[in-house]
Amino acid sequence: MSSTPSGDGGQAPPAVELRGITKRFPGVVANHDIDISVAPGTVHAIVGENGAGKSTLMKTLYGMHRPDEGTIHVNGVQVRFNSPSDAIRNGIGMVHQHFMLADNLTVLENVVLGAERLHGIGSKARAEILRLSGQYGLGADPDRLMEDLGVGDRQRVEILKVLYRGARTIILDEPTAVLVPQEVDELFDNLRELKSEGLTVIFISHKLDEVLSVADEITVIRRGTTVATADPRTTTARELATLMVGGELPVPELRESTVTDEVVLSLDGVTVRSAEGRAVVDGVTLDIHKGEIVGIAGVEGNGQSELIEAVMGMRPIASGAIRLGADDVTGWHTLKIREAGVGYIPEDRHRHGVLLESSLWENRILGHQTKPPSVRGPWIDKTGARTDAERIVAEYDVRTPNIDVIADALSGGNQQKFIIGREMSGSPRFLVAAHPTRGVDVGAQSAIWEQLREARAAGLAVLLISADLDELIGMSDTLHVILRGRLVAQADPATVTPEQLGSAMTGAGLDGDGGTDSTEGDSGDDTADRNGGGNE
Amino acid sequence: MSDSPTRGGMPPALVPGVLIALLGTIVTVALDTVLLWWAALIIGVVLAFAAVILVDRRMPHVRRAGAAGTKEEGTALHNTLVVPTALVLSVVSGLLLAWFLDLSLIEPVAAALGALVGSAAAFLLHRRLSAMLALSFAAVFAAGIIAIAVTALVLFFSGIAPGATFARMIEYGSRPNSLVQIINDGTTYYLAAVAVAIGFKMKLFNIGVDGQYRLAALMAAAVGGWLVLPPVLSQIVIILVAVAVGGAWAGIAGYLKVTRGVSEVISTIMLNAIATGITAYLLNTDRLAVEISTNNIGTPPLPEGSWVPGIPALFLGSEREIFGLVFLAIAVGIGYAVMLNRTRFGFELRATGQSQSAAEASGVNVKKMVFLSMLFSGMVAGLVGMPQLLGSSHFYALDFPTGIGFIGIAIALLGRNHPVGIAFAAVFWAFLNQAAGILPFDGIPQEIAVIAQATIVLTVVVVYEVVHRWGRRYQQQQIGKELGTTVAEPAEATVPAGTASDSGDATGDDTPGNDRGGEAK
Repeated sequence: MSSTPSGDGGQAPPAVELRGITKRFPGVVANHDIDISVAPGTVHAIVGENGAGKSTLMKTLYGMHRPDEGTIHVNGVQVRFNSPSDAIRNGIGMVHQHFMLADNLTVLENVVLGAERLHGIGSKARAEILRLSGQYGLGADPDRLMEDLGVGDRQRVEILKVLYRGARTIILDEPTAVLVPQEVDELFDNLRELKSEGLTVIFISHKLDEVLSVADEITVIRRGTTVATADPRTTTARELATLMVGGELPVPELRESTVTDEVVLSLDGVTVRSAEGRAVVDGVTLDIHKGEIVGIAGVEGNGQSELIEAVMGMRPIASGAIRLGADDVTGWHTLKIREAGVGYIPEDRHRHGVLLESSLWENRILGHQTKPPSVRGPWIDKTGARTDAERIVAEYDVRTPNIDVIADALSGGNQQKFIIGREMSGSPRFLVAAHPTRGVDVGAQSAIWEQLREARAAGLAVLLISADLDELIGMSDTLHVILRGRLVAQADPATVTPEQLGSAMTGAGLDGDGGTDSTEGDSGDDTADRNGGGNE
Repeated sequence: MSDSPTRGGMPPALVPGVLIALLGTIVTVALDTVLLWWAALIIGVVLAFAAVILVDRRMPHVRRAGAAGTKEEGTALHNTLVVPTALVLSVVSGLLLAWFLDLSLIEPVAAALGALVGSAAAFLLHRRLSAMLALSFAAVFAAGIIAIAVTALVLFFSGIAPGATFARMIEYGSRPNSLVQIINDGTTYYLAAVAVAIGFKMKLFNIGVDGQYRLAALMAAAVGGWLVLPPVLSQIVIILVAVAVGGAWAGIAGYLKVTRGVSEVISTIMLNAIATGITAYLLNTDRLAVEISTNNIGTPPLPEGSWVPGIPALFLGSEREIFGLVFLAIAVGIGYAVMLNRTRFGFELRATGQSQSAAEASGVNVKKMVFLSMLFSGMVAGLVGMPQLLGSSHFYALDFPTGIGFIGIAIALLGRNHPVGIAFAAVFWAFLNQAAGILPFDGIPQEIAVIAQATIVLTVVVVYEVVHRWGRRYQQQQIGKELGTTVAEPAEATVPAGTASDSGDATGDDTPGNDRGGEAK
């Protein structure tokens, strides 16, 4: 296996080289003509939009499926992987985005699980774990129970697992998505440690600033193929973004303010506690007016999901009140809230938005199963639901042969367009839009933005949650920053930059100019005139 | 998903159908004079099918796409699978009907009617059978063949001639008295399987149908035996008691699941054991039971006014009677189908079964649904003992049939929880049970039927799942093809640093498979 010394790798063969990789799924080409060369002893980032084919590529490299064309070389030798164990044998390990750890086992037990042959399960294994942990600065305690560890520690255990199996090249799939900023820094320190010990890291991400800070080389993937290799020292985030989406980045922007005085949704000191009693949403006070889009910016996992679930009545709130128009909807059931005119574009459409195995017209009924045209009393109105599904398909440009196909047969973007069409029907007063353009192609993205703009002009109030800062800045009338469940700052979307927003999201506050006020839980009544300044 | 949602039945389109059905019938009647009836019928239906193909080729605009909506005609799958399946199904339906009618009608009429139905089926199936439904039928055929092969192998290695055994079973199983028995058993099995299927649709395993129906039957029999009411009212009260007891017993499991998170599998198994205990306790001459005969005790026999009269099966050539409550089973089946496909409750039930999280986000009260579906499952389970109680034994005694709840699980699996599928599965199961009854007389172990039943459940479940997955992939592929998967990429982007490779025409993120790849984020 690799005995490549650390260093520039100028002469050594690439640790991993992918040549002309093409992977087809039935009817779809997920990857084609991928060429990547990863120098040993480096951190190599692979960036691309959601759905650009990064994960498919890494599954190919990790032996989870075989490429239809192309070759994989490890340290200059061509290899064929039939399973992940082949990849591990060749020194390639993968840390998945979702940890694969048993909570009720100790660190030691988790690490040796499935690799008992290497060093047994006793003192030899313990010694090896301590050695690896010391060598790479992972700071693992073999006897801690997994359930006592935080997310960052768990991730280090995952890395340890991979190292224990003899990996010299480690693939990290979106490792920062679950981490808070400090943990991200710690992770990056670990990665630099690994690199200095001569290991190679392949780092998959779509967060450009992170990539620029940690990577030695960046490969950009767009629409299933490699489009560029960039040097992080000479590239800016904007240039990378342009490469990622193919140059014609649709710009999210609002034309003129449609914000009115009429409050549609009002949160007053809403607090949500996790099962352990921690406040995951902490005293959020917020007003959303008719014709206003209120954006919430924040690093994933800072209470956004819990906030929208509380608004939708899917999660009980510990204290505070939610008012919808004149009604106090605190504690209302989801169905009642929906019936009161609330639309919901969930962040995870497969979990919350569609029935994958049901036809489109049946999916039209989902979430609207008490209202015409889907139902008549206790009966399903098949004709009505079908007619309205046809309307959504036509109006929202859902690309599908007809409305009898199951939702799973559609692409993510078309599923999303269908969901948006469904949630907009019955003219809701208020819409919760969580990551409305996540995993959606560029064309659908601009269509979705246009739908939101039109609905806003017609008086819809929108709560917008997104990880895409440009989308937030461009689409919001008012912008709040959420950190550890608290609204820590309010920014003016007309003047704030993604960089300022990013630093506020990590708790550094909104520095620089930009006409922002760092308020805590300010209700933002003055947004109307502030927004009158007009966006570009 | 197998219900065909088409609404293409305009009267003008049906004219060729009527003509073709007549063609098949006339050919059959003509050939019947020179050939055996079944040979004539097969030729007639095959000719009708050929005519359907010809007619449909002429009128492409009338032909519809499959239920999946993709253009299916002309694809390899359509030609190799849908057309043969449609042909086989129409011939088999014609033959079965003709054979069945032959039991009570004279042969030429039966053959003509069979041919008429077979030819009409040819017309409808060729137009309407979707690839997915055809796949399901093909899966069941394949599973049946595998199961028969395995059973034959077992027989062969036991030193018994498989062919002769099967022939004996079919011969005995199709005797008039056997048919009556099959219908009666099938009625009971059907009710049990529907009870199980209601849970299955919600991904709930009501293992406790067995205990629910036994307890319900005992209580209903006791009420009917001790409380003498006028006819009609008496039957209604007995059935309502059974429904209430079955529902209450299953409701305990539902309540525990909703409030305490107790797995319904565990609680219903426990409740089965408790039901056995309660039944044994109550079925005692000090309590609910009286002495029925010298070595049997049971609830007091129902007065004759509380019986549900049977249907004389003379039309099958049998002296015995079919349970009158066969109509109850049919009504339950129709009710189940309507509930599932036409009501809001059924929609919420299916939605919860498919994705609990999506149902919750859509405002479905999942806990309420869990409780209600357990309750309904138990209520139907309460009916399981009724045909036997009201139609045949008239009291609940120590020898009341047991274990039907477990048979119901197997039948629900076999019938894929579909109201019609379960009906076929129940009849098939009853047929195997009945037909095996002759084997001991030939010195062949009767357990051969159990082997066949077990094998067929396993093969159907496995084959169906495999075929279903394959079919889904195929459907996605067809849609991908139809919509075009390539998206023209705009001009090459400028590259600030490093090397750029050609981006070419890319497929994009706008495709199902790829979306899965990226979904992890």
